[in-house]
Amino acid sequence: MNTNTPHPTNTVPSASTVPSASSVASENAKGAAMDPRPVLLDINKLSIEYRTKRGKLKAVHEASLRIRKGESVAIIGESGCGKTTLATSIVHMLPRNATISGGSIGFFPEGKAEIRLEALPEKEMRAVRWNDIVMMFQASQSSFNPVAKIRTQFLDTFQAHNPEISTDDALNRSRELLELVFLNADAVLNSFPHELSGGMKQRTLIALSLLLDPQLVILDEPTTALDLITQKKILNLLNSLRDSCGFSMMFITHDLGIVTQLADRVVTMYAGVVVENAPTADFFSTPLHPYSQGLLRAIPKLNATFEQLYSIPGSTPDLVDKMDGCLFAPRCAHCHARCLTEIPALRQTDNDRWVACHLYEEVTHGAY
Amino acid sequence: MPKRLQFPLFLLRKLLKVAFTVWVVTTLIFFLIRLMPSNPIEQYIQNLVIQYGMSYEEATSRAASLFSLDLSQSMFAQYLEYLKDAVRLDFGTSFLSPGVQVSEIIAARLPWTLFTVGTGLILSFIVGTALGAIAAYRRESWYEPIISGLSSFLSAIPDFLIAIFLILFFGVFTWWGRGSIVPIFQLRGNYGAGVNIGWNWPFIKSVLDHSFVPILTYFFSQIGIWVLLMKGSTTGCLNADYAVIARARGLRPRKILTSYIGRNAMLPIATEFAMRLGFIIGGSLIIEQLFVYQGVGLELLKATTNRDYPLMQGIFLIMTIAIVLSNLFAEILYSLLDPRIRVKGGSKHA
Amino acid sequence: MLKTQSENNLKTPQEINQVLSTTGSAYQLKGTTRFKRNMRHLREALFSDAIGAFGFLLLLAIILMSVFGPIWFPLDTISNPEVILNAPSAEHFLGTDHLGRDIWAQVVSGGRELLVLAFLTASIAVLLGLFLGSLSALIGGRFDEIMVFLADVWLTIPRFPLLVVMSGFFTLNATTLAIVLAVLSWAGLFRTIRAEVLSLRSRDFIEVAFMLDMPKTYIIFKEILPNMMGFVVANFTLLMRAAIYAQVGLVFLGLLPLDQNWGVMINVAWNQGVIYNPDAIWFLLAPTIVICLLILSLVWIARSMEEFFNPGLRK
Ligand SMILES: Nc1ncnc2c1ncn2[C@@H]1O[C@H](COP(=O)(O)OP(=O)(O)OP(=O)(O)O)[C@@H](O)[C@H]1O
Ligand code: SF4
Ligand SMILES: [Mg+2]
Repeated sequence: MNTNTPHPTNTVPSASTVPSASSVASENAKGAAMDPRPVLLDINKLSIEYRTKRGKLKAVHEASLRIRKGESVAIIGESGCGKTTLATSIVHMLPRNATISGGSIGFFPEGKAEIRLEALPEKEMRAVRWNDIVMMFQASQSSFNPVAKIRTQFLDTFQAHNPEISTDDALNRSRELLELVFLNADAVLNSFPHELSGGMKQRTLIALSLLLDPQLVILDEPTTALDLITQKKILNLLNSLRDSCGFSMMFITHDLGIVTQLADRVVTMYAGVVVENAPTADFFSTPLHPYSQGLLRAIPKLNATFEQLYSIPGSTPDLVDKMDGCLFAPRCAHCHARCLTEIPALRQTDNDRWVACHLYEEVTHGAY
Repeated sequence: MPKRLQFPLFLLRKLLKVAFTVWVVTTLIFFLIRLMPSNPIEQYIQNLVIQYGMSYEEATSRAASLFSLDLSQSMFAQYLEYLKDAVRLDFGTSFLSPGVQVSEIIAARLPWTLFTVGTGLILSFIVGTALGAIAAYRRESWYEPIISGLSSFLSAIPDFLIAIFLILFFGVFTWWGRGSIVPIFQLRGNYGAGVNIGWNWPFIKSVLDHSFVPILTYFFSQIGIWVLLMKGSTTGCLNADYAVIARARGLRPRKILTSYIGRNAMLPIATEFAMRLGFIIGGSLIIEQLFVYQGVGLELLKATTNRDYPLMQGIFLIMTIAIVLSNLFAEILYSLLDPRIRVKGGSKHA
Repeated sequence: MLKTQSENNLKTPQEINQVLSTTGSAYQLKGTTRFKRNMRHLREALFSDAIGAFGFLLLLAIILMSVFGPIWFPLDTISNPEVILNAPSAEHFLGTDHLGRDIWAQVVSGGRELLVLAFLTASIAVLLGLFLGSLSALIGGRFDEIMVFLADVWLTIPRFPLLVVMSGFFTLNATTLAIVLAVLSWAGLFRTIRAEVLSLRSRDFIEVAFMLDMPKTYIIFKEILPNMMGFVVANFTLLMRAAIYAQVGLVFLGLLPLDQNWGVMINVAWNQGVIYNPDAIWFLLAPTIVICLLILSLVWIARSMEEFFNPGLRK
């Protein structure tokens, strides 16, 4: 039964072992049957807490997920479930009152040794940012310094990571990328940010993000501020760029339409916990976790009347409270005795598929 | 509108506003003098008649020459005449020292005020913005509340009370039996008695000695405002999207602080500085009075107590013009520093 | 007739409320609750942080001292040449002035005039600013443009020198000074209140009132003003501060004939050369310190108001 377990050492949910480079490497060799691509980012049992007036707020609790090279992973879940917190922790840009209280983030850049991001000193992290991992923040309308030309800001980015590069080379590379996102390169470079439209700014930011050939691009709700047509353009652009440039992508969205277009894999979060992790097609055809099922039912059908619109009853739990049992239990239709006392672990049910719910204990192939 | 024309047009609009403001103030002064129930010119004439036994006509012509007004003309013609003179910065001659041009008196007093107020302003600006930036970057440090608390304290207290405290501290109180820090006679006047005026060391030293506490007063009365402004402005920029993204782009912290946060935080501060340049000319009347510092403010005070109307007019107008021009300067500066304003042209205030 | 009778015989509050709401007096009821809510809001604002509460208590103490203090510490009306410029003693708590009069009694009595004047000035100025500011914001268009332009022009005239110059033309007394000060400060207040009204106007409930075509005066007094209480209080205290500055300044310069206040004390002490006489330094120091305390209390109140109603300012 357990032949496909990625981490044989981790079958016990409470085990505190973290994957080492060798364990991932062996998994890569063994897992050839399911996904031949090497793992790029391995988040393992990551917990993040905010210090608040009311006490410790567990924004992310023992979250695990894995991103392979060239893969595109969508993170979905209700507002406040910790998506942004999880994503920003990767590049250490959490708010001051946040701490990573446990777990690990392993980064396996191509041709380099493993980097353990969770404990990386700020100085070394600075070199990783944008060079290896690009993080684009939620709703950043004014991503560019309003008093400097775009050109300066492209050059600043080169300067920070690669001071030896000549201005001409840097500009040529910038032009190349701007053209790749279908912009008039010279016009854009000589503009101030306010002279560009929202969509142009977004595309410029995408060009800027690919400037240093990153291996992972993290996008937090990349298109919510844009109109539908521009959204679509940007998404298509991202898709084709991923094909041509070969980076991996992790993006956060509330729009399941975007998920179907962009994602290879969907990670569902609920109240700081990863509850399901599945390939996109499987996720939409057979969602396993009751919360995922609720999310899919909540998508408005074109012919639905107002009364038929489904929403998951109840509201998200208070993350400051102590948790025992499944966090979704108060809202779950399948809740049973065990759910109230025991936290369900994230377990593998299938090739490449995980869920954290007591309903699937029988079919489980082992813990994440 | 072609882009090329926008800046000149913007400038033109602003200049028109300057002209309008100056005209309003000039007119205000003219009518204050001519139409008030206790018309100072009439009073002056009566005074001459009573005190010196002049005939009314004689006194009138004397008054007319003093105010450089032709009193036989209609009020409107007089007004035009007055405007013409004002445009040429010709404010007539002083009452108190007959025959001396008002502009001469102002020119003699101006350097002193410019020196003390200007030095105080520049020093407080430099130190204040630096402290304000520190207070913003080190929001969680133990010394931030001290900086901010002292600043709001200093910015609340009227400048002349600060002056009194400083006079007591430096000139009156004795410390450890060693006498006061600054001899009290140095807290009066612009320079000591008996020094030769000119570019010689004793004179310069005397000037510096005498201006030390006044400059300190201007420094303390303004530093609080700079700290608070800079702190607010920097804090706003610290959390701005572009600063966060700059960090995500892996820029060096120093680069982010200077080019991204500092540059944007300085925008409103630089403008405020430009605006305050205009107040250098007026200085503070009360502070110059306290230190018996012979500057423009004290001159205005003397002119007022002595009813030297031409001098009052002249000084007040100069003060206003300075403020109006510095406002103009501030607006131009802002439009140059902030590319977003440049495009909008002159429509900012419309 | 019978019905009225029965209404008067209602007993429980619930019954009364029920009748009120059906007879159209419900509006009245709503009005009082809104007033109460605003007062509670104001109280919360004052005591939300220690500094604001402290400022408020300090101001209260100064007001109480100025109102009731003179009863216990009456001014010395006659001079006493034997105790001229004395140092503090048991008899004269802060020493004596150049005519041998008690300084503490002068400090106690010296605030009343300043406070009344400052209060008067701030009241006139706030009313003027509220009137012009909300009018301009609500009428909009050309009128608004002209008003804004005039305010801009007005703001460039240096205020204190203008006061000095004006005191050369008129003899100002307490009341005229209050009016002049209030009129002089119209532009600044006009601008802030206009901006505030504009931002309030864009909020839903005001937009609804406009859409329902309610009378403008109704909107101003019932919808906009109640929502600007904290803002108005903050500006009121700042105006009081400016008025005190101007008064004390003019009095100190000897341009304003007021009789018994802290500014006069400073003026007299200064002209009597008290700084050369460390014994009598409280003659100068005491009024200076109380003015500082008064102004600080006002600024602290204003700051806590602004922070409470505009929390974004702080961070
Ligand atoms: N700086 C902070 N201090 C305290 N709590 C915070 C902070 N930032 C976020 N939180 C809390 O952490 C939890 C997760 O927040 P997060 O921003 O990660 O949610 P999200 O999933 O990105 O939501 P959204 O979809 O609305 O962007 C929320 O409950 C939020 O209240
Ligand atoms: S563990 Fe229980 S409560 Fe939680 S989702 Fe599964 S069935 Fe529902
Ligand atoms: Mg988010």
